[in-house]
Amino acid sequence: MIAIGSGRPFHVAVITPERKVYEGEATFAVVPAWDGEIGILHDHAPLLALLGSGTLRLETSKNGTLRFRVSGGFVQVVENEVAVLSEEATEV
Amino acid sequence: MQKARLVRRRIRAVRKTRDITHTMEMVAASKLRRAQERVVAARPYAAKLAEVMARLFTPELAERYPILRQPVRPRRAAVLLLTSNRGLAGAFNANLIREAQAAMAEHRAAGVETELHVAGRKGVAAFRFRRIPLALARSDIGDRPALADARSLADPLMLRFETGELDAVDVVFAHFKSPVSTPAVRMRILPVTPAREKGVGRAIHYLFEPSADEILARVVPLYVRNTIYRALVENAASEQGARRTAMKNATDNAEDMIERLTRTLNKARQAEITQQLAEIVGGAEALKG
Repeated sequence: MIAIGSGRPFHVAVITPERKVYEGEATFAVVPAWDGEIGILHDHAPLLALLGSGTLRLETSKNGTLRFRVSGGFVQVVENEVAVLSEEATEV
Repeated sequence: MQKARLVRRRIRAVRKTRDITHTMEMVAASKLRRAQERVVAARPYAAKLAEVMARLFTPELAERYPILRQPVRPRRAAVLLLTSNRGLAGAFNANLIREAQAAMAEHRAAGVETELHVAGRKGVAAFRFRRIPLALARSDIGDRPALADARSLADPLMLRFETGELDAVDVVFAHFKSPVSTPAVRMRILPVTPAREKGVGRAIHYLFEPSADEILARVVPLYVRNTIYRALVENAASEQGARRTAMKNATDNAEDMIERLTRTLNKARQAEITQQLAEIVGGAEALKG
């Protein structure tokens, strides 16, 4: 497998109103934004983006690739903290 | 003889009541634990949402999006009251109903036409009994409110706020401070005024996708829905807390009562024995001649 980016991890939380669906480290995240996918690596610039419907993909060193179905909401990136907030997010 | 039997019967009855209230206390305690977990689990989302709202919100945007409008002179308001479906929770529902009526009275005193929306069988019944008309009466939200319940309450209100039909929406629910402190509170959910974030550090220069105001317009409905969701979850936990306290008090009262009755019983029995002894002694004396 070709490693994407520097392989340095950042923190990711996938949160719904009811609970935290996922919290942990990832080395690469692909977020289904409103107008297309956004890739996030370590040291991404601060970002606030609306989400569309689609699959959120996380590459982690511990658990391999994780996928979540999300619909609506937004993603916030600040200083290697990625928060994905969506009313619907389920792991697939 | 007669008296002792009556007291015994009464003790049996009180004991049975105590067993029931004690069981209800235990059930409420176990439901409370789970409801409390849901309150805690709802916090991360709410905290993030509030943070983002506080960052994006500027009063100037109010004119561009109907969901953000800030009516200067409100003409029509709605009060959304959340109550429980079940009773035997002390003054839980009574406090909520009183708070809702205070909210309505205030609106009306200010010349604002006010409609009342009620969720929960207890609230619905109370207002039906008083013949106060309800704009909405629902009793289908259970012990474990879901986001879908919040959505079904929030979305029609938001729509009517956007079209200008409503100028203000308050929600009345029991704030879950702790299992023994669940005061009825009133919260303004529309128009939206996010709490200013405490200790906002240096401004972060975000990349916005799409623009900041478009994000805000989309985040506000999430915020309103989540506020109602949290009110529902807190209300559910508060209900169980109030019920546990009420049932604990009832159980303690029953214990006290049993103790008092037992004392009365002993006294009556003692009196009976004394009486019988006196009769025997009296009889023996009489026989002696």
